Amino acid sequence: MGLLSLLRKIRPNPEKEARILLLGLDNAGKTTLLKQLASEEVTQVTPTAGFNIKSVAAEGVKLNVWDIGGQSKIRPYWKNYFDNTDVLIYVIDCTDHTRLSETGNELMEILEDERLKGVPLLVFANKQDVASAMSASQVAENIGLINLEGRTWQIQACTAINGTGVKEGMDWVCQNIKRD
Amino acid sequence: MGSEDGSCGKGEKIQRGFQINWMILRDADSGNIIWQENKDFSSPDVEHEAKVPVKILDLRAVSREINFSTIEAMENFRLDQKVLFKGRIMEEWFFEMGWVSPNTTNTWQSTIEAAPESQMMPAKILNGNVTIETSFYDGETLITKSVVRLYYI
Repeated sequence: MGLLSLLRKIRPNPEKEARILLLGLDNAGKTTLLKQLASEEVTQVTPTAGFNIKSVAAEGVKLNVWDIGGQSKIRPYWKNYFDNTDVLIYVIDCTDHTRLSETGNELMEILEDERLKGVPLLVFANKQDVASAMSASQVAENIGLINLEGRTWQIQACTAINGTGVKEGMDWVCQNIKRD
Repeated sequence: MGSEDGSCGKGEKIQRGFQINWMILRDADSGNIIWQENKDFSSPDVEHEAKVPVKILDLRAVSREINFSTIEAMENFRLDQKVLFKGRIMEEWFFEMGWVSPNTTNTWQSTIEAAPESQMMPAKILNGNVTIETSFYDGETLITKSVVRLYYI
């Protein structure tokens, strides 16, 4: 799909850049997803010990996608990047049964932050190509998404490594991005 | 004066702990790599040469990706990237990251859809006359600058 076409669909206000924040535990697949969005090869992805940012501009409007590393020692810094977020994308490794509650707790903690109030949330239920993966609805129920109030949200099953479901998720982002 | 000395020391410490690891130019539509440099960029103000296929000029957009590491934390990290033709600014991009954690390796990729006028310039005029300058700052302190000069082959 490409980030330029995504930008075109979102069409942020010219005075204001659109900002998508990509979070999730380590090994959830955030960087792979980001590379998939930019049509890049995803064969060589190493753990992100910091951030990856992709900035695109066309016709004077800008989109910045922020992928922040998910290792536990980096997570306390996530909150430094909450300001001015237009959409939060949270990526979950659905094969990681052991850490499902951990990722759910991290997400709920993030959502309590005042700066993310009312920001639309897309959850990518990633790694659906693996047989043992939990389904999107199982994840939604387990981490308490279905009880979320006062927020537009969606969960999308996907396989970031081959792109399955990514377009559907990004279409939702384009339709629901916060504009003010 | 004491506090000024302190802030100078901090800037130098950040500079010493800062390193550019690699740069990549890509076709933004296909994601394919056009040019990559893994050389040690740590010595500042050394101009690098990128020999890129002339067909790069036909692309709708080329993305520029830069990977760097910092040992020190930074309060207000920002970048200023310029594309210059014979020293004249054709494109400029300011990006503000804000806080950067210590001991991190990070990438920033910028993609600007080419303006119609720059697409019209022929390769022989552009050849060797285009530079990509990326300056890294913490607040007002310049940390380092990378300069890449483009040759179309």
